[in-house]
Amino acid sequence: MVRKSWTTREIALAAAFTLVLLAMLTLYIWYQAESVRLNYETYRLKGLIATLREDIRKLEAEKSRLLSLDRVEGTARNELGLTDPQPGQIIYEKPPAGARKKTP
Amino acid sequence: MRTLYESAPRKRVKILVPIFGFWFLVIIGRLVEFQLFEHGRLKAEARQQTRDEVEVWARRGSILDRNGRTLATSLPASSVYLQPGEDETVEENVDKVRRLGTLLGLTDAEEARAIKQVRNGADFIYIKKRADPEVEDAVKKLGFDGIGFEPTTVRAYPQGTLAAHVLGWLNDEGKGGAGLEYAFDDLLAGKPGSQVILRDARGRRFETQTLLEAQPGEDLVLNLDSTIQYRAEVELERGLRESGGTWGTVVVMSPDGEVLALANRPAYDPNNGAPEKQELWRNIAIKFNFEPGSTFKIVTVAAAVENGRVGFDQTFDCREGSLVAGGTVISDHKRFGLLSFAEVFSESSNVGTALVARRLGPRVLYDEILKFGFGQRTGIEFAAEEAGLVHPLERWNKKSSLEHVAIGYEVMATAAQVLQAINVFATRGRLVRPRIVQIPATTERTAGLPAERQILDSRPVEEIVRRVLTRVVEEGTGLPARLDGFTVAGKTGTAQKNLGAGLGYSSTEHQASFAGFVPAEDPVFSMVVIIDSPRGELQYGGQVAAPIFRRIAEAILQYLRIPPRPRAGTEPILVEPAIEERP
Repeated sequence: MVRKSWTTREIALAAAFTLVLLAMLTLYIWYQAESVRLNYETYRLKGLIATLREDIRKLEAEKSRLLSLDRVEGTARNELGLTDPQPGQIIYEKPPAGARKKTP
Repeated sequence: MRTLYESAPRKRVKILVPIFGFWFLVIIGRLVEFQLFEHGRLKAEARQQTRDEVEVWARRGSILDRNGRTLATSLPASSVYLQPGEDETVEENVDKVRRLGTLLGLTDAEEARAIKQVRNGADFIYIKKRADPEVEDAVKKLGFDGIGFEPTTVRAYPQGTLAAHVLGWLNDEGKGGAGLEYAFDDLLAGKPGSQVILRDARGRRFETQTLLEAQPGEDLVLNLDSTIQYRAEVELERGLRESGGTWGTVVVMSPDGEVLALANRPAYDPNNGAPEKQELWRNIAIKFNFEPGSTFKIVTVAAAVENGRVGFDQTFDCREGSLVAGGTVISDHKRFGLLSFAEVFSESSNVGTALVARRLGPRVLYDEILKFGFGQRTGIEFAAEEAGLVHPLERWNKKSSLEHVAIGYEVMATAAQVLQAINVFATRGRLVRPRIVQIPATTERTAGLPAERQILDSRPVEEIVRRVLTRVVEEGTGLPARLDGFTVAGKTGTAQKNLGAGLGYSSTEHQASFAGFVPAEDPVFSMVVIIDSPRGELQYGGQVAAPIFRRIAEAILQYLRIPPRPRAGTEPILVEPAIEERP
């Protein structure tokens, strides 16, 4: 049996081909791994956004509760000792010229 | 002898090829088995392990007042449930419920219900519905088997009892049970969606695929102003306390129909769901029919003036203090003398009004009643609004109904209808539909309903306002509704309560009311106040309802920064407006 001897050019080509193949494989694996990692990250961030949105709603509800007129009036009268203004203590703004009737 | 490693390559190949060949055949055999014979089962198993198909709940829309204040909103919550294990005893599970009960703050009734379900052998028991999601960690730390959590939402009403009857509540299934929550359930609820969650080999979620996008419910923006609502509730509560009445209602509306406040007392806290006492459920302002009494005389006045049958210069003999109509006696609360047409109404003389009605005749009065919208729903956006009751003309008692109807008996109305009627005088003759919802502007419930229609000419209306309704407050029965610096127009009402079952009318039980608008010459709002069964000496509408009207009106005018009309010695202080916009 006669074994064909490889020329330097052929060895170089084979090495280059193998390198390119390895590089492509590495790139592909890196791309897949990165996709999976980004999917995890996206999923985590979506969850975070949903949680933060719910937190905002919770805080808005809490703000609304704290600013409820019942509570504000209770604090004003009982803790700060405020009372209703007397007629002479109320100052009104002059309506601007040509202003329309004030409605709620 | 040579070892295997020392043998020729050909001999080694001869040994290894069958071994590897057999190995490959086994693998191929297994692959064929997996791919062809067990494909379906294995695929389903793999999907189950790596995919979760879940329903995505749609966020329920919020309810906001006209200034964007939150009146109702949905917050995340977690329902805690128990699935008893087959190898566990009943007592073990009862013990779990008790320990969870302490942690979750269950009421005795809730705990007893869960224990009963355990003892009855239920295989799925809700321990606590809509708990704070933060308790999940604490529950998990207990390390109980069979405990699970279900994501859900809880409806929060951050202003507590404010506008409770307007908002309503949600039932256990998360559906609207009353009020606007019920009337607009479809709009608020949205539509649930579905998602597939993909998991990796370690069970971690790494991707979510949406199959059907959840459609969140729409927000509802009301015409209600929570500040005006609050003042109305505070003053109604106070009025009810002072008068000893059973219940009361107040509705405030801008002349063009925007309902600024709708308050009923007693009320409830919608955060606790449906109130136990069913009598608290009813939105009195739109669901309670009552005989309006003297506030209804505004219809008689309008009919008389519009048809020209009675002039303002005419007088009526009310000296007798009573009048017989078909065997029943109609009497005044005191003896009057000769009363002018305007005085008949400003003094709320029943005898005088009956005499006016006799000049009109039943047909004219009946047509006017229908024109003012009595006997028909106002079209406010609530479900199941009452329409009141106006008997057809042919069913009127020919000897007595004309006189009785003219003074507000034998006819039923809701507070909303009375408000709509008085508002005709605030709008120079337009019958305006009350609207509590601002956005969406038109709904299934209101589509096709006219927003308003002109039912009276403006000239007679202006005359009635100037010569009758302002006089009621300036020098008549509505004097306690008078406001310094503003002209108030209105009409008082004191109706004896019908005892039902043919027993006639109570001489001690009344419904006191006042309906009016401010300022009379250029109205900003109309309002009706009704107090049921006031106790004690003060029972008339002018004594009980008119002061409540005055206090609420005063607060609203201050809130809207409407200065009083200058009067000698009491001129309001006026300053140039600040440059920056106020919140």
